[in-house]
This record gives sequence, structure tokens and C-alpha cells, in this order.
Amino acid sequence: MSETATSGRGGPSTRARRIPALLTAGGLLVVAALFFFPMVWMVLSSFKSNAAIFASPFALPTSIDLGRWVEAWEVGQIGKYALNSAIVTGVSVLLILLLGAAAAFALSRYRFAGRAAILGLFALGLLLPLQSYFIAQSTLFNQLSITDTRLALIIPYTAMGLPLATYLLKVYLDALPEELFDAARIDGAGDFQLFRALALPLLRPGLATVAIFSALACWNEFLLALLYIQDDALKTIPTGLLAFSSRYVTDYALLFSALSIVTLPMIVIYVVFNRQIVEGITAGSLK
Amino acid sequence: MKPARAIAPYLFLAPALVVFGLAVMVPLVFTVGYSFTEWNGFGSMTFVGLDNYLTALTDPIFRDSFLHVLIYISATLVLEVGVGLGLAGVVSARPGTLWFRVAIFVPVMLPMVVVAILWSFVYNNDFGLINATLGALGLEGLQRVWLGDTSTALLAVSLVSGWVYAGFYMMIFYAAIRQIPSEVLEAARMDGAGEWVLFRRIKVPMIRNAIAIAVLLCVTGGFQGFDLFFVLTNGGPYGATEIPTTYLVKVVFRNGDVGYGSAMAVVLTAIVVGVGLVYARLQRRGQAGVTP
Repeated sequence: MSETATSGRGGPSTRARRIPALLTAGGLLVVAALFFFPMVWMVLSSFKSNAAIFASPFALPTSIDLGRWVEAWEVGQIGKYALNSAIVTGVSVLLILLLGAAAAFALSRYRFAGRAAILGLFALGLLLPLQSYFIAQSTLFNQLSITDTRLALIIPYTAMGLPLATYLLKVYLDALPEELFDAARIDGAGDFQLFRALALPLLRPGLATVAIFSALACWNEFLLALLYIQDDALKTIPTGLLAFSSRYVTDYALLFSALSIVTLPMIVIYVVFNRQIVEGITAGSLK
Repeated sequence: MKPARAIAPYLFLAPALVVFGLAVMVPLVFTVGYSFTEWNGFGSMTFVGLDNYLTALTDPIFRDSFLHVLIYISATLVLEVGVGLGLAGVVSARPGTLWFRVAIFVPVMLPMVVVAILWSFVYNNDFGLINATLGALGLEGLQRVWLGDTSTALLAVSLVSGWVYAGFYMMIFYAAIRQIPSEVLEAARMDGAGEWVLFRRIKVPMIRNAIAIAVLLCVTGGFQGFDLFFVLTNGGPYGATEIPTTYLVKVVFRNGDVGYGSAMAVVLTAIVVGVGLVYARLQRRGQAGVTP
């Protein structure tokens, strides 16, 4: 690591401050360049022919032909998969936010029999791996004939997202002063009004955080999508792209284009909202 | 906080509990139930007691799959948590590293399947970046079929995981380092401590808690890893990258051995939840103490 580099100039106190500043920047630049090499290579290769990809992997493309991307978009049916992902993600996230906020409201603002047990249940939910339930879940979904429908993804995605959403939103609600709710109650607000007109608006920052990590988790989920959706018309981006890549297993140019199409918009969204996204993802994993 | 007034809290909780209960808790109970049976998913179910667990104990593939996942977890502890910590040390030592922090986090965003397909090309034998680089450097002797060689496949998959998550752990550690009171760091700088000493003697000890969280996430996440393995090697070559999650999907959904697969799922669940509970206990002790 470049931070340990010694300059050999000056005493120990100036040594660490001065010279390595440039060294650090240079070192980080090298690390970042190596790090991004696969992605840069992906985009460059997407403009090359298969023959050129094989002949000289490092060579720059001779021209930037977006026609290949159009072809990948159409042949790979990426629009269809993206739409499926958007529907499944959108509905799941909405449900997670709504049901999670309601559950958090109950757990934060009321004392009632069974409260501790329910808190414990959600705490367990934070730890449970997918493997603990997906075998019986798949037989259940088969019996209910909802495999190969969007519900087969929306239901488990919502269920998986709820414990963390509830927990985080409860932390937000716990931090709100009780007097706020008392005052509204004295003014005659009912339980539901307290939730809708007071709690939900105040929860907005928490809801945004939950929405970000839930949306990413749904958008990227692979295992359940693989098991529950065989119908190509309903596949989401991860499973759709995998099916595409096994159909066109040697058309590397086409696959590089498809990967670029899926990757670049996400990078753009990330760069624009990077602070919120980084906060959302880290909050979502730290629990 | 309001004392119980009739049914309001239960009404607010009901939708979440119904969804979570039906989609997670009921299947969880049934999975445990299946683990004591022999069942192919359709026909009649036979109760076999602990037979499936005894089979698991003597199944060499299952045993090896744990060995593999432990190697994978060890590798990712170095490549993700270790590298992340080192990078956090560097970026917290200098101003103007926002661009780097933003950049290194990018792969965390991407679907693992996309990452896996991309890296299957990076490792490709004919045009892949790694062999091409080695060739360009005149190191043809080191070229390999990285994912097809039993001695390199597991580490090759681990490296991809490191590529994705090093930036994630860097951000966790960076955020923790930012919480250290600046007077502490300034005082040490006044005393002539260089950045390396600052990192080793102050930053790392003071973010112990964040490091513990990171290790826990990496270990429990490692046991649940699936996507990269499924797309890159699906257990191959010759079972060299078979891990419990890939094996269990094969046993249940390819071989139709629901009972045995469920027993493996229960074992895996016990490990993940067990690690999580040990950690929760450590956390509570940590919070009671002085650790930030």
C-alpha cells in the first residue's frame, strides 16, 4: 500500500505528510485503473467483431458502432427483461415500504401483548438465509400454482425485505418525540390518521433509504428468479441475461454489448445518486 | 408510547405478519419437517427420522462443499475485508479521494449475474484479459484455464467476489474512521505520528466494532453465496467449487431429493443463524463497553 511508502527525505513527521500525498494519488489511480479494466474492456469489446475480440483482446475498436448495442437489445430482448424487473421491483418495494412502515408504527408507538415476540420474529428474519425456507416455499408456490407468475417473485421479495425495513423504520420512529403524537391525538386524530398524516411524512428519509436497498436487492436477485420463473416472457434481468448468454454462448461481441447495456445505466444512476445509494446500501447491510 | 388500545396495533401489523408468516415462517417450518422424510416432491412422503442428517455426515460431496466454502470465506476475508480496510486507511489519510471512493463502490450496484458473465470472459482461455495480459508480459507459462483448473477455480471465483465487495467494506470502514473525533487524530499528528502509525495504533483499534461487523457480514454472506458460483462454475471442475448452496440446489431441484436437501438446508441455516447470534451477543457486550 502506498501509504507505507517512505520518502527518505525529512524527519519522520514531515515524511508521512508531504511526499506520499502525490504517491497516494498516483497509487489510487493505478488501483482504480486496474479495477476498472474489466469494465472498460467490456465496453470496448462490445464495439468489436468476434474475430477482433479473439485476434487482439487489448486492441481498440476500429469504430464505435452503436448498431451492435441495438442488435443486442433486440436479440437479447433486454427491454422485456428490464420491464419485468421494473414491475417486480416496483411492486415489491412499494409493498415493503407500506407494510414495513405500518408494522414499524405499531411496534414503535404501541405496547400490546405479543409485541416482544413479534420483535423477536423480525430479528430472526434478519438472520435467516434464503436456504432456510426456499425448498418448502417452492413446493408451496407449486401447489398454489403461482410459480411462473410475477407473484412468485413479488411475494418472497416483499417477505424478505420486511424484517429489515420494519427494523430500520422503527428506529426512525423511535427517535421521534412522543409529544408530537400526543398533540395530534388530543386534536382528535385517530390511529390511522396518526400513521398516514403524521408518521409517514416524518418517515420520508427512512423510507428513501429502505427503498434504495430494497430496490437493488429485488433488481439483482437471482436464485429465486431462477427457481420460480421458467417462462421466458416473465424473466427478470439476471435470469433473462443468463438465458440469453447460454443461447448465444459464443457470440461474445453480442454478449459484451448486452452486458454494457445493462451495466452503464446503473453506473449513471449510481454516479448521480452516489451519496444516497452508498448510505442506503451500507445502512441496509449493517442492520 | 400508547398502552394497548383494542386492536389498532394488530391491524397495522397484520399485513406484514401475514406476508412474512406465509412466505417465510411457514416454509421454514415445513423445510425442517421435510428434513426428517424421504420425499421426491410429488409422491408419498416417508418419515425417516435422522437418516438424512446421518447421510449428510458421511456424504463426501457435502463435506467437501463445506471445505470449499470455508476456503472461499477465508479468501474473501482477505480480499474484501482486508483490502477494504487497507483502502479505507489510504483514502482516510488524504483529502480529495472522493472520486476513488465513488469509483470502487460501482460493482456493488451490479447484478451478480452480470458480474459473473463479465468475469467468465475475463478468465476466458482464448481472449480473456488475464491470459492475454500474461501473454503480453511474456509469462505464457502462467496462463491457465482459470475456471477449469481444479487448483485455481475456487480462488478465481473468490477474486471476483473481492472485486465486487472490497469497495463496500472500504465504505463501511471509511464511515467508521470518520466517526473518530478529529482531536484524537490531530493530537497524534502533533506528536509526530505518521499516517501508518495513525492507521495501526488509532484508526484500526477505534473501529474494532465496524471490523467485527464486517467479518460477520463476510462470513454469513459467504455461507449464502450462490450467484457467482452458479454462473461461473456451477460446482465444477470435478466438484472443486461445489459449495453447500450449489449442492443443495442440485440435490433438490435436479435429483428431486427434497428430504436430503432440506436436511442440508437446516444445517446451513443453523450455522448462519448461530454465527449471527454469537455476533449479536458480542455486539451487546461491545455497546456496553467503551467501543464507539
